[in-house]
Amino acid sequence: MKPTGIIRSEVEQNGIDRILATEEALIPSSGFLASVMERVREEAAAPAPIPFPWKRALPGMVVVAGVLGAGAVVFVRQALPAMHGFTMSMPPVPAAAEALMKQAGWVALALWASLASWILSKRLAGRTGLL
Amino acid sequence: MTSAPQSASQRAASEDLADVVRVLGGETAAFEGIVRRWQGPLVNMAWRYCRDRGRAEEMAQEAFVRAWRGLAQWRREGNFSTWLFALAANVFRSELKRFPTVDLRLEEAAEPSGPDGQFRELATKQSSEAVRRAVLALPARYREPVILFYFHEMDVSAAARTMGLPEGTLKARLSRARALLRSRFPQLEGEHAAMELAELSTGKEA
Repeated sequence: MKPTGIIRSEVEQNGIDRILATEEALIPSSGFLASVMERVREEAAAPAPIPFPWKRALPGMVVVAGVLGAGAVVFVRQALPAMHGFTMSMPPVPAAAEALMKQAGWVALALWASLASWILSKRLAGRTGLL
Repeated sequence: MTSAPQSASQRAASEDLADVVRVLGGETAAFEGIVRRWQGPLVNMAWRYCRDRGRAEEMAQEAFVRAWRGLAQWRREGNFSTWLFALAANVFRSELKRFPTVDLRLEEAAEPSGPDGQFRELATKQSSEAVRRAVLALPARYREPVILFYFHEMDVSAAARTMGLPEGTLKARLSRARALLRSRFPQLEGEHAAMELAELSTGKEA
């Protein structure tokens, strides 16, 4: 614990330094050493954790991965022809409702921008220690 | 030709190495030497993190148990103590994340009492304790550099090694932490100077 390169000149000495640097040393209680060693002996006596049985699990994992892969291939093969016949169609929207939705969109955007700026300012304030 | 006497730290380092070798060889009792040598520093370090004696001993004990479990991971390039302090800092940090010690904001930290009054010594002790407790109210990124810097007797490089941070980063955080503490206790400088002056004058009178 003995310091090798004290850089006292790099920090200004003030009242706070004096207080924090002159803390009285705490002496561990008399039973501390014994209680640590008791825990260490318990740990030493406990059986070693059982390692994961990779050798046994590996074949099963390979089978599961193979089944999932085959399933994905079958799904893609069947889904692709079905996608060709599919067209997206929007239900007809009245002009008034369309204008309303446009305005709602702008409101949502404004709300999102306010939320983002609030989060950003909170983070910046937190970083500088103001919060 | 006489060999120079080993310094205390060199002797401790060689004893640590010998004990680690014995523990890794299956001799659990050899760990006692390590605990005996480092129990003081580790309990004091934990105390600075939580300022609760009982909890400090619990946290230090946990750090020793983790050190025992991970002893084989110590690459003997650096000092054993450097590895132990870094491991302990990790343990204390995660313990305090799980169960925070104080729920105090810096601006709510107690005001240090003034030098006036007949109980000057008590006032000094109280104001010092107020500042030490205020350290725990600093934001986490600034708190730990302060704790470790003063624990390592104001050795920036030792504190940086314990935290696993570049020295420059540690210095920057330390500087910010001290600015925060100064802004919280602006009167401290003047008061301490006044107290020291008063102590000097009473000493002369006596």
